[in-house]
Amino acid sequence: MTMEPEVVKKVAGIARLQLTETEITEFAKDLEEVLDYFSMLDEASGVEEYDFNPVKIQDVLREDSVGQDIDSELLTKRMDTYEEWVRGPKLV
Amino acid sequence: MDAAFFERLKTLNKRYVLFSELVDKGPDDHSYGFHFSAKDNLCTSNFQTRAGSRILEGYRPPFDATPVRRMREAGGFLLGKTNMDEFGFGTFSTNSAYGVPRNPFDTERSCGGSSGGAAAAACLLDGHVALGVSTGGSISCPASFCGVVGLTPTYGRVSRYGLVDYGNSLDKVGLLSRSSNALSKYFPIIAGPDPMDPTSCPQPQLNLGPVEIRSIAVPQEAMENIHPDVRTAFDRAIDTLRDSLSVSVEEVSIPSMKYALPAYYVLATSEASTNLARYCGMRFGAKGGDIALHFNDYFSRVRSANFGKEAKRRILLGTYSRMVGFRNRYYLKALAVRQTVIEDYGRVLKKHGMVATPTMPFVSPRFTDIERMKLIDMYRADFLTIPPNLAGLPHISVPCGYADSMPIGMQLVARHWDEAVLLSAAGSWESSFKYRFPEAIR
Amino acid sequence: MRIGLEIHLQLPTASKLFCSCSTSGNGRNTSICPTCLGFPGSRPRLNRRALEIGIQISKFLECKIADTTWFSRKTYFYPDLPKNFQITQYDSPLGVDGRFHVGDKIIRIMRVHLEEDPGRIKRVGKSGEEVSLIDYNRSGVPLVEIVTAPDIASPTEARDFMTDILIELRHLVGLSGKDEQTVRVDANISVGEERVEIKNILGLKNLERGLSFEASRQAKLIKAGKRIIRETRHFDEERKVTISARGKETEEDYGYIAEPDLGIFNVGEMARTMVPVETPLKMAARLASKYAIDRATSRQIVMTSRTLADLFERLCGTIPPEVAAAWILGPLSSNRDLLENRKGDTLACDIERVLQAVVSGEMTDSEARLKINALGKGESVDIAAEGTEDGQLRELVVACIDENPEILSDFKTNRRVANFVIGQIIRTTKGKYASSEIVEAVNKEIERRLRKEQS
Repeated sequence: MTMEPEVVKKVAGIARLQLTETEITEFAKDLEEVLDYFSMLDEASGVEEYDFNPVKIQDVLREDSVGQDIDSELLTKRMDTYEEWVRGPKLV
Repeated sequence: MDAAFFERLKTLNKRYVLFSELVDKGPDDHSYGFHFSAKDNLCTSNFQTRAGSRILEGYRPPFDATPVRRMREAGGFLLGKTNMDEFGFGTFSTNSAYGVPRNPFDTERSCGGSSGGAAAAACLLDGHVALGVSTGGSISCPASFCGVVGLTPTYGRVSRYGLVDYGNSLDKVGLLSRSSNALSKYFPIIAGPDPMDPTSCPQPQLNLGPVEIRSIAVPQEAMENIHPDVRTAFDRAIDTLRDSLSVSVEEVSIPSMKYALPAYYVLATSEASTNLARYCGMRFGAKGGDIALHFNDYFSRVRSANFGKEAKRRILLGTYSRMVGFRNRYYLKALAVRQTVIEDYGRVLKKHGMVATPTMPFVSPRFTDIERMKLIDMYRADFLTIPPNLAGLPHISVPCGYADSMPIGMQLVARHWDEAVLLSAAGSWESSFKYRFPEAIR
Repeated sequence: MRIGLEIHLQLPTASKLFCSCSTSGNGRNTSICPTCLGFPGSRPRLNRRALEIGIQISKFLECKIADTTWFSRKTYFYPDLPKNFQITQYDSPLGVDGRFHVGDKIIRIMRVHLEEDPGRIKRVGKSGEEVSLIDYNRSGVPLVEIVTAPDIASPTEARDFMTDILIELRHLVGLSGKDEQTVRVDANISVGEERVEIKNILGLKNLERGLSFEASRQAKLIKAGKRIIRETRHFDEERKVTISARGKETEEDYGYIAEPDLGIFNVGEMARTMVPVETPLKMAARLASKYAIDRATSRQIVMTSRTLADLFERLCGTIPPEVAAAWILGPLSSNRDLLENRKGDTLACDIERVLQAVVSGEMTDSEARLKINALGKGESVDIAAEGTEDGQLRELVVACIDENPEILSDFKTNRRVANFVIGQIIRTTKGKYASSEIVEAVNKEIERRLRKEQS
């Protein structure tokens, strides 16, 4: 398969990566190589029933009780704040 | 652990770049029973935790990872954070923002990865135990390249609370040391359920002790594309197992093994690309400069400036694999293939106590050779460590021979939760095979 | 007109969906931990109560509940989303293919799922230079999302649907009383062929207004022969209009994958063992059909108070439903606070006896009303006796007459024999009661006994 630079750009946009033209060309080639290899999966037989973990993890639940081990000030200490709000970049 | 030890350690670290952050001086009191290290993707409250990435520069977690906490509570003194490929993305520990660790047997060669610093520390520090992490072979590979014993437990056996995620359905915290003895001693400390990690909760009790192994299986798929030196050492090891330890050996076929590699890369990068979304210069780690930028630009700039090349590559691969239109072909198919691999191993392990293969297809390469390797060949180098990792099966890598004075590893794989089998087998193995080490500091 | 709704409601849990931080933090960025801030190495741990409530809601909405369910990561980048992915449910919602009745109409429910709320975000600064400010106390608060089919025919119907579903859910799982104002809804509406989505409408009033505006906007366009563009719009609460949301600079592809840190949940089994609860409107519908009263009445009864509704059912066992309904909505309703506080079989039993007496003609309506008022106040009332303001006085009268039964027969010929009783009570109560009160009480009790003798 061929990986078009446009596709790499689109994927990079979704992942919030700004790539240089050189990077785009290089990654297009890499992705092409790896995806060609991945195409092997098409011929593999896969079972119908599968899990999301390699061992059974089921019904692990936490009771609805309140508790906080770490002081919230310690958590926000290194964040950029304004009157206890955490500052973030522009929205529009 | 006197002052001189820490001086020697600093000198050693200059030469081998084992630690991305090292303790300044030793403990003031003598209550510590042993020293240990933690791979830099395990959270530690008294060291930065950067997982080999610039994007976590300056990040000091507000809590200890559970395995670190348990080692401390058992009397361990944490020497520092071992160097690694950024977020675990690599086979040679060459993808770190904090230097490249050097192989204890030959500084021109790689320690293997991604727990390269951990394996080298296990090799060079007498009585040391290193906490490593494996997603697709990151304990076995460096253990093999650095000539130490590396145990990768069953998925879920050791809590991942405080582990900087690579692929949550694949990541496992394990141990590296010079002998299986040390692993048997420290493994029960870190194993066991932890309410902070739901995936650690359903495990059965760990009971270590001697286990008799009657037969092992050697998959024929593992014997292709192996360097002749490795093949020779492995065959000799199998002979030893058969003759000295009276284990019967049967060659078997695990056809799905060859699909494990692409399935692994799809799952690992899919999960990784979501795990790495959080690094955007807002709440921890590297900051991104101008907050007056639109958030998309702000995030993109921080991420582009601070992720290394392999991280970007895997983010792209993973994002692509789970995109609309490709998700079924890659992500969902990979999940199904993983299940097949688990079932195939299950069939073999029903009949045999363990599956044995070489750990890596070659001895540790020189850095100059690594530079010339094609990307896909680097990925393929993990074809023996990936299948048990994908299947969440416990495995151990033990030194089984030497070629040009470089160590060669043998990997033993057991049933889910059967770490006891592995440690017992490694113990027996050590009674008939003598490991070689470079001079250690103590 | 076709309207479909996506409703987001906060679940009434003490702690967050995936960590034990409180859902009601005081002060900004105080109810936070590594998990709800998405710190590296933190993990989600599912709140059992949230899962139970989710199943309860799915079951109530008559959804199919699969044997197992799991969570997924929905990846998108926004400053209020700590992990830059939201843990939600994608390919295995808790419930699918359910329904909800609004009057006679069935609104199909497409899916019900659980998800975590992002943080609260606001914009500050001069136009064009705004930065964002975030409070992560809300990050990780449990939400249930309910998605309807586009079966709703008008903005009014949308509001009725919302009102009714909130009534039911409030009773079912104890949602907050402020949900009419705080519920967040995404609505899609198509007057013609093309569908427009209105995102993030806050509260029921805005929902109806937003939909009404959008309906007429679309109708005007169609009338003018113009095309309706398929798009996302926002409702401006101040100007009461919908505004086209600017096209996003970066296209999002959520790239859903399963959340590997939580495992799977056997919700089918949990659902089977859960005891169904009769919600107010379901009860109203049942009362209406079972006792042949009209819907408005049954709804009014149930909505006034659940205790009254239960009492109504009990009364229907012995007196005609329309009489029971009239009394329930009349005198009993005005005493409902007292009735609420004094739940108990004796009280219901007393009321039942009073009303039976009315139906059989033993008691006048006004007497019964007095007795009910007395019962409501917690006084002990001789059901067969006439009402009196003071139970203690009446008890003395009763006791005195009981001790001198001959008075009753004498009274028929000489009403003045009552003075004997009156005198005795004035002496024993030493001025506690006005003599007129005592006279009235004694006369009433004697008359009541005589009337009883006759019947």
